[in-house]
Amino acid sequence: MQLVTANNLGYSINDKRLFHNLSFSLNTGCGLHIKGGNGSGKSTLLRIILGLTSPSKGSIEFSNPDLQVSYLGHKNAIKHYLTPMQNLELIFQSTALQNAIHWLHTLGLKKVQDELTANLSFGQQKKLALIRIFANQTNLIILDEPFVGLDNPARDLLNEFLQKKLASDTSLILTSHIEPNIVCSELVLPDNTND
Amino acid sequence: MINFFFSEAFKLQHKLRSWLGPLLIMILVLVAFPLSIDISQYDLNKFYFSVIVVSLLMISFLATESIFSEDYEDGSLEQLHLEEKDFYKIILAKILTYVFFIGIPMALIGSIFSFANGVSLVEIPKIFIILSISTLILFNVFAFGSALSINKGSMLGVLASLPLALPAIVLLGRGVRTVQYGGGFFEVSALMAGVALLVTAIMPIIISATLKTHLE
Repeated sequence: MQLVTANNLGYSINDKRLFHNLSFSLNTGCGLHIKGGNGSGKSTLLRIILGLTSPSKGSIEFSNPDLQVSYLGHKNAIKHYLTPMQNLELIFQSTALQNAIHWLHTLGLKKVQDELTANLSFGQQKKLALIRIFANQTNLIILDEPFVGLDNPARDLLNEFLQKKLASDTSLILTSHIEPNIVCSELVLPDNTND
Repeated sequence: MINFFFSEAFKLQHKLRSWLGPLLIMILVLVAFPLSIDISQYDLNKFYFSVIVVSLLMISFLATESIFSEDYEDGSLEQLHLEEKDFYKIILAKILTYVFFIGIPMALIGSIFSFANGVSLVEIPKIFIILSISTLILFNVFAFGSALSINKGSMLGVLASLPLALPAIVLLGRGVRTVQYGGGFFEVSALMAGVALLVTAIMPIIISATLKTHLE
């Protein structure tokens, strides 16, 4: 079943055309890896799919208007003045919180769970941000460069998690310069750096 | 809505500088002003209210400067947009939290200082009511200003929204006069409460549209 369909998408900013006439669809339980050079519009395309940015042309259609989406972009959406545990308490409630705490421990953040998030390393902050993806039950996962800053065990864990999610009918759209170890189709955006 | 309120309260509770800073500055201004000028107690009693009103305006201005910028910069606003689509409830909860944790204590401080400067004890609740209503109006107006220029330093937008706060100050001045010289307190406070409710109902819609524009 088609979950997301993009029809002739185009996006321009300051007279610079990032992409045009882009059409694709994503089925339930399938993954889409969006590839392209820096500035090719990968993040913008993700934001268009999420409804955060309006396309200059074309449209995005969802088969289910109440689709549950979890997203992690360039910004981690965590509070630096709170501890990792307090961040989780802010984001999750009851059962989901227990699940989030399980992931906090799985990702090796137990020993820093009561330290200020501002004092954690970039990679540890990224792991904390990824718990939003790990602990949420959604139909569609959208990730923008999720592997950046992660050590090898965390990368393997993320690959394994995403592969399991795909097997359980969750769909995935991601951009990554680091090749993910999961089965998914590819969409390559044209390089605009010489335009 | 209740969840958003508790989330905002949880965040504000851990941002000591954001809520305690404005309150300490207000106390400092109200204490320092009479000490810095050579004036008789009689004259001071006559115009000390002006100092309270102006400090209320400036501290509201200061307290709301970063009301949305933190969530915008760390990506929380994007996440909230995905969860809720409409920011109305989130913004309303945020403004009410700020009023509860900063605005009401400011009104309390203003009331206490007005007592110290000649207002009788029975008039203190009246002062507290009109100052509280004023903070609700001012926080809404300045929150709009903060949202307006969220990606260019919120102070710019807050400054731009300053003229919108002037009618609230005029009303507050009128309310203070009714307390000082008697008569018409109920009418003025009812008018202020009406304006405050209207502003609180409408402003989150405008702020919501403003923030969505910035997210794009």
